[in-house]
Order: sequence, then C-alpha cells, then structure tokens
Amino acid sequence: MFSWTTYWDSFGPLIWAARYTVAISVMGIGIGLVIGALVCAGRLSPWIWLRRFAALWVSFLRGVPLLVQLLLVYYLLPVIGLNVPAMAAAVFTVAICASAYISEIWRGAIAALPKGQTEAAAAIGMDPVTQWLRIILPQAVVMSLPALVNELILLVKASSLVSVVGILEITRASQAQAATTFRPLEVYLAAACIYLAINLCLAMLGRWLEKRMAV
Amino acid sequence: MIEVFRQYGPALLSGFAMTVFCWFVGTVLSMGLGLILALVQRYAARWVQWILRVYIEVIRGTPFLVQLFVLYYGGPMVGVMLDPVPAGIVGLTIYGSPYFAEIFRSGFNSVSRGQIEAARAIGMAEPAIVGRILLPLGLVSALPALVNFSIILTKETVILSIVTVPELMYQVGRMGAETFRFVETNLALALFFWALVEVISRVGRRFEARLTQHLNTRA
Amino acid sequence: MVQQLTAASSVEIRKVNKFYGPFHALKEIDMVVAPGKVTCLIGPSGSGKSTLLRCINFLEEYDSGEVRIDGALIGYETPGGRRMAARRLREMRRSIGMVFQQFNLWPHMTALQNVAEGLIRVRRMGRAEAEARAAEALTKVGLADRMLNHPSRLSGGQQQRVAIARAIAMEPRLMLFDEPTSALDPELVGEVLNVMKTLAAEGMTMVVVTHEMGFAAHVADQVAFMEKGELVAMDAPAQILQRPEDPRIQAFLRTYHERNAF
Repeated sequence: MFSWTTYWDSFGPLIWAARYTVAISVMGIGIGLVIGALVCAGRLSPWIWLRRFAALWVSFLRGVPLLVQLLLVYYLLPVIGLNVPAMAAAVFTVAICASAYISEIWRGAIAALPKGQTEAAAAIGMDPVTQWLRIILPQAVVMSLPALVNELILLVKASSLVSVVGILEITRASQAQAATTFRPLEVYLAAACIYLAINLCLAMLGRWLEKRMAV
Repeated sequence: MIEVFRQYGPALLSGFAMTVFCWFVGTVLSMGLGLILALVQRYAARWVQWILRVYIEVIRGTPFLVQLFVLYYGGPMVGVMLDPVPAGIVGLTIYGSPYFAEIFRSGFNSVSRGQIEAARAIGMAEPAIVGRILLPLGLVSALPALVNFSIILTKETVILSIVTVPELMYQVGRMGAETFRFVETNLALALFFWALVEVISRVGRRFEARLTQHLNTRA
Repeated sequence: MVQQLTAASSVEIRKVNKFYGPFHALKEIDMVVAPGKVTCLIGPSGSGKSTLLRCINFLEEYDSGEVRIDGALIGYETPGGRRMAARRLREMRRSIGMVFQQFNLWPHMTALQNVAEGLIRVRRMGRAEAEARAAEALTKVGLADRMLNHPSRLSGGQQQRVAIARAIAMEPRLMLFDEPTSALDPELVGEVLNVMKTLAAEGMTMVVVTHEMGFAAHVADQVAFMEKGELVAMDAPAQILQRPEDPRIQAFLRTYHERNAF
C-alpha cells in the first residue's frame, strides 16, 4: 500500500535539504558564468594557443560525465594538499562543468548575431572594443538568457549527483529518509516532486524571458 | 602496472562491455519510444496529447538518479522487481524517451507545410505521407540532435553504477577501492570517456554530412 | 497535331465563404470554369486568390457554399454537411493536379522519384511502369536530361517544371496553379509559362493564380479579378485587362503597369 503519510511527511526534511540543491545550482551557474565568459573570450581570441586551450577545456568537460568529474576532484584535492570541505569541491566541479556549456551558449549567441550589426557599427567608425561592448555583448547576453535558464535547470538536476560525495541535498536526504522509513517509493516520489516544482518554476521563468525578448 | 592490469583487465573489459550494452539497448529503446511519442503527439486526440505532455514534462523535470531510485528501490513496493541491469535499461529508456520525442517533434515541424500539402494534393494517404515524406525529411533534420543526445546518454550510463549495474564506472570504483588509487583510476576513466565522446561525435558528424549531401542547395 | 485529353473537368463554385477567425477571407464567391478552359485569378496580394484556389482541392476548408468538380461536391458529404471521408477526398484529389509557388518538391528524392512517387503510392503502379511514365512526363516538360538530379541541383525554373511533371503524370483532368512563377528569377519565368501554354493548348482545364498579365491576356479564356475576398469581376481577358469598368481593377492595373514600366 502506498503510504500517503510517509509521502507527505517526507516533504519537510526534503524541502529543508533543497537549500543545498538550490545553493549548489545557483553558485554553480554564477561561477560558471564568469569562467564561461573567460573561456568564450579565449575561444574567440586572436591567439591560437589560447583558442586551443579553450577548445580543449570545453571538449574535456563536455566529454566526461559529471559524476566522474566529481569523484576525480573529490579525491584529487587532498592529494594536491587542498583540504577543502566537500561542499566547496562540489560547487567548484559543478561550476567548472557548467562553464564549458555556458561558453558554448555565449559563442552561439554571438555567432547568431547578423553580420550586418558589426558592419553597421564599423561603418559609422566605431572601434572594435566599442563594437563589442555596445553592440555585440548587450545583444548576445539578452539572446542567451533563455538558454542560460535552461542550463540552470540542467544544473538543478545534475546537482543530484553530488549526493555521492555526501552532501545532504535533496537526493542524499531522500536516501537517508528512505533508509529510516523503509518506504523508498514514497520518499523518492516526494523528492521527484520537489525537483519538478523547482524546475517548472525555472521553466516558466525561461518562457517569460523568451516572450519578453520576442517583443 | 602490468600486474594491476592483469588483475583488473577482465573486470574492466566486462565493465566496458556492460556500458556499451546498456547504452546501446537504452538508446535504441528510448529512441523508439520517443519516435512513437512524437508521432502519437502529432496525430492523437487532444487529451492523449495532454497526457503525453505531462509525461514529458515530469521526466524532463526530474534527475535521472531520482528516477532510477524510484524504479529500482521503489518499484518492488508496487511489484516491479527488476535486477540492476534491466532496471538500468528500463530507466535509461524512460529517461531518454521524452528528449528524443522532443527532438523528433521539432524534426517533424521543420518539414515545410508545402511538402506535406504537395503529397496531399496528389491524393497520398496519411500513412504514406508519414512514411515517405515526414519521416525521411524529419529524421534527416533531427539527425544532429539525435546524435548529440545519444552521446549525452553514453555519459548518463555511469549513473547506473550507483544502483550497482556492473558497468565501467562500477568496476573502476571497485578497482579504486581495492588499490586505493582513486585519483589514477578516475582520471583514466575521465580520459576514456573524453576519447569515446570525441570519437562518437566525429563519426556522427561524418555520417550526417553524407546523409544530407544531396539536400544542400548548391553554393 | 495537338494531343487531346480524353476528359477535362469542370469546376463550379457557389456562394463560397471562408473565415479565419473574424476575418472574412472569401465572400460569397461564385465561379464556373467550363471543361478545357483556362481561368486566371488576378488581384492584389491578400485578396483571397490563393485561398479560393486551395478550396478547389480542399487544401483549404471553406466554411459554407459548394465547390463541385464535374458536379461532385468536394470536401463535404452534402452542402453544409459532414466532412467527406478522407479516402473519398484522396480519390477526388487524384484527378486534380496542383502546382505551388514554392514548388514543394521533396528534397530527398530525385526529379524522377518525385514524379514517380504519386504513381507508386497513389496509383499503385509498379516501379518500372511508374518510372517509365515519370520519364515521359519529364520529357514533356523538357527535362529528359535532368531526371536523376535532386531538386537542390536544379534551377528554380527546372524545379517548377518537375513539379508540373509530377502533377501531369497523375493524368489529372484539372490543374491548379498557385502563383507558379512568383518565386522565379525573371529569366526563368518563360520556360514555365511555355509548359503551361502547351497544357492549355491540349485542352486541360486550368485555374491559375498569377501576376503574369501577359499570360492572362493571351492564354486565359476568362480572367477573374478579386479584391478583399470578393470576386469583383469575371470576363474575357480583353474585357478585364483592356477595358475594365470597375475602378478597383483600373487602379490595380495602373499600379501593375507603373511597376513594370522602366
């Protein structure tokens, strides 16, 4: 029999644990945005070695499963003498991984700008730096917003993996809850509902942004 | 080093085989299910479409790991008892199907109305239109996204190790635990996946180029 | 000696109305096309010409009135009644060829396959017979040497001629043309119009939405002028194009001549 009591009772502790999920995702995307911008700049830079390094960065981080990256960082940090809390390692890994995807989102947004935009700016005698700051970036950032919201949704889901390094976010908390109540079905369904609620809110935000941009 | 490899080689090989197996079967099944979902969404009654929409949103809104837990640990409570490997494959199928459905849907939407109308105008029946026009054109335009998502699924297979499917990551984890060489083993695993994904995407791109050759308008 | 068609269809349109939401796209249209005759629909863009044309093979559903091919109602079982069975509609469409502004060739098939497809899937012909027939149709439109090319390797004019071959291979008794030359570069218009002239001379019933006034003047048996969903006038080409009485037609022709004057 499905135990509705266990199901409803699970929400309390799981929502409390959701602050870690949210924190990891938000910090992940925040730091990821900064690193992603640098990587994107690297890929578009005139220096070939920088371009190659940035391309390698993107290809490696997109090619390796996040779970493997997490364990690698988690085990690697103490070996190189950095004793940081698991939470910091987790946020760092998620952010690094996100930076690869974010840099591609920005690169795509910049590439999607019509060539005429820079040509028009050049035609009135604007210098390249001003062209970037005043014409290209403002448009590219706005255009990339829905994709970035989508990336945030992916991070919320991906953050479930940090449960393997012991951080008590939604998934880890639901494992603990399932172990004490012996009712995994109810508990994991409750966890799924919380993820769904977070992501539906984000998806609504994304659609709202897209609609505003269309105007 | 050689000693280590002799000891763990067979386990790693069987883990690799298991990864490929789960990935291949899971991809084929979820692609098939996704195609069916997309076709049903296109032609079925409003309320059926609505139910499928809910399914797609729920699966896409929740993490794969949690879905696996519901299936593997929660399933037995409602009589669904699956061993790790079948559970992993069923999980991959369910997880991948809505993404594939969306890919097929946008592929179908990219087929211009006119090409469908031209078929209607000469009196082609709907199944023939699907088989001869909608599928061939829709699939070709969906191809890059299909390849891309299949690659994403290769990476998702490592998550199966958490529910003890004896795939590559699981074997590497055991090897690490027994030798205490966590860094080296995980690094090797990372490099392996990197190479795998690069190779698959390169092959995929060449395949796409060949299939779409005659569709490109001349320069 | 011009080859004669065994049978050409007539089209009767009676009090047809079409709405897009509150927008009245076709207003009480009446029109008759006799067998073997060519009718050109002209008028400003957005006047409902294409919508009317697409009602004839029911690609566009009209809301009231009747469209009859050889006396048989298309689209509905009875006037204002239930939708006709899909199979019956397909059977009727089989004898109505249509050519689109954007050609709508299937890009994954060669010219020959494009033409043979309908013969195989709809007429249930064997592949060999279908391809022989398709080759014949392509030869007729002057593309015997381009049969194995994909549409992406053909010019716009060639693509449109393949589209015409695709339609005539089905042996239609009525042909609908929806602005067949509007998407073409000016130098390619002639080759398509020539094929259409041949068809007209063979006695095909044709309804043509066009901006080619020269074609309308020399080939059409009657010209219909539409504006804002209304059929303003329908008469012999000379009446409409040279001695128009209605000020709306005069205004339309004036703009047309101004645009085409150098």
